[in-house]
Amino acid sequence: MHYANTYLERPVVGDLENVAQEGTTKVLKCMLNTGSDIYQGACKKRGSTLKEEYKNASGTCYMDPRDMVKLGVKNWDTVLVKTDYGEVVLNAAKSRDAPHEGTIFVCKGPWANTIVSHETYCCSDPTYKGIHATVEKTDRKVLLMADLMRWVYKKYVDEEDDDVVENMESLGERPVYNGRKWEELIDHDI
Amino acid sequence: MTYEPPVTDYDHIVENCTCAFCGCNCDDLDFLVKDGHVVAVRHACRLGASKVMEDMDQRLLVPMVRNEEGVLEEVDWDTALDTAAKYIAESVRPVFYGWSETSTECMKEGVELGEYIGAVLDNQATICHGPSLQAMQNAGYPIQTLGEVKNRADVIAYSGSNAMNSHPRHLARYAAFPRGYFRQRGRFDRTVITMDPKFSDTAKMSDKWIGFEQNGDYGFYNALRAVLKGKKLQSESVSGIPAEDIYELAAEMEAAEFGVLFFGLGLTHTLGKQRNIDIAIKLVQDLNTNSKWGLTPMRGHFNVNGFNIFMAYETGWAFGVDFCRGYGRYMMGETNTIDLLVRKEPDCFMVIAADPGAHFPNGANQHLANIPVIQIDIHWGPSTELADVVLPGSFISVECGGTSYRMDGVPIWMKKAIDKPETCRDDEWIVRELKERVMKLREEPNVADEYVPNEGLACLLDK
Ligand code: SF4
Repeated sequence: MHYANTYLERPVVGDLENVAQEGTTKVLKCMLNTGSDIYQGACKKRGSTLKEEYKNASGTCYMDPRDMVKLGVKNWDTVLVKTDYGEVVLNAAKSRDAPHEGTIFVCKGPWANTIVSHETYCCSDPTYKGIHATVEKTDRKVLLMADLMRWVYKKYVDEEDDDVVENMESLGERPVYNGRKWEELIDHDI
Repeated sequence: MTYEPPVTDYDHIVENCTCAFCGCNCDDLDFLVKDGHVVAVRHACRLGASKVMEDMDQRLLVPMVRNEEGVLEEVDWDTALDTAAKYIAESVRPVFYGWSETSTECMKEGVELGEYIGAVLDNQATICHGPSLQAMQNAGYPIQTLGEVKNRADVIAYSGSNAMNSHPRHLARYAAFPRGYFRQRGRFDRTVITMDPKFSDTAKMSDKWIGFEQNGDYGFYNALRAVLKGKKLQSESVSGIPAEDIYELAAEMEAAEFGVLFFGLGLTHTLGKQRNIDIAIKLVQDLNTNSKWGLTPMRGHFNVNGFNIFMAYETGWAFGVDFCRGYGRYMMGETNTIDLLVRKEPDCFMVIAADPGAHFPNGANQHLANIPVIQIDIHWGPSTELADVVLPGSFISVECGGTSYRMDGVPIWMKKAIDKPETCRDDEWIVRELKERVMKLREEPNVADEYVPNEGLACLLDK
């Protein structure tokens, strides 16, 4: 069956002009903003949250090109972002809204959640924007959604044992549950 | 992106369907249907089309319960509903969160269950426009409908909202581009102003971009109000905006024949929170001395406003209503989901048509790892990774009809276009079943003890 396609493996970002091989800064101090963009929204609401696509749409840190040069990162390299509330590994990409030197933008999603503030200051709404953060280059990989949820919340694994969580097999890009009968239930040929 | 040929292979078209994504509730979509599936969508934006043509890989089709090893196991509807009902009936501080992506009819069942069991009912407003609702209680709600915007508005201001990314057809269908009765030339008759620290995609389409500093919204609006009241600014720039620009903007806004301020999460998520909105509402009030202005919050989900209107009508409060004492209570910062979770209060959490896994900060979600979580949704999402019982619902406006409220408070009936997968149930049915099963397990409703005034007070009252 021919379906109109709304899938896009990763968001479209601009090319970087001059990337230095070695960055001049190891740890960059900046302001973290979160919010939504069209790629994240489309992927999330289609329901493709386990997929690589969601990881690229939501687990990406959009940076000013000058900041990327300072750190020596190229598009789709990985960076470690830390705040007072946690840390997470993200893809780095040139922001479509640049220039905004000193500010990074991460789309909402499980990745951003680990680093935003839960402080509501008695106003019901957590502080999702304007949080102090540091960014550094890293070799670690960005985790897929299911793996990230397991790594962060450890609801169904032994939480004492960090090693187990680190070395566990990836949960992958498909729902995991016993005896997937649902394929028989409906015609499924997307 | 590559060129894609249009879809021509379809059985029939269902016209005038409503989009179930953002608060614009575009009700002019055409679904192309083949073999009971929507294969293409006409008129929708990228977001709407992608939601309607959902990812069947991740569609929840069978009810599931976690077994002892922590693996989701398929069960029949009876077992799943009984397990969920047991969790709810045995809890002392349940929270029912979500509701924004389901129909108002389903909320009706939900509020009955919540009242019976003494739960907290809250929706996504708590993490998006909660401060806006609070500000409306503080300062008022000068609203207009989107139809008025289309036909009358000549100045459109977006503040802290990137409509091109989160409400893509907002400019095209209601605000900037359409030709209206008094705006015959469409975009040429209107001025679009975007106020956002980022040079966002909306700013790129605007005539004017005001890029105030991060967390500078409060100062900036106050400066604008001072200028409107005829005061002189003491400093050369406020929140990074030069004083001359503020004078110019104030003059332009005051000269509008009909202006509208659309504001988004940029204002509610920064440090000023509801005070930012207070000041934006007061700005609109000030502008109304000499001109005509209105404002509308850019609501994110298609029925997030519906829950607020429904709850305000039924209980008197828009969101975060707590029934645990046997009567309704509402207290900002106390009966709201994030605060409850951070304080580790709830002992049972029901998520209906929402995704806390994707949208709550880590500090709040941590508590979901300690308590039973019941999920009613259509897709396997981040919340499923935390859920103990999963109940597959149906897709409102595609597989099931229902009422929703647009961002400006206009109710819209969303019709059904195709049949739902056989094994799924309507959200309304699921919540009603849960309600009935909980009522069987817990025979007495949660009602407050009768009020007995103490003696001293009683004789005072007699006099
Ligand atoms: S603007 Fe919103 S309601 Fe309209 S088609 Fe796009 S997502 Fe749907």
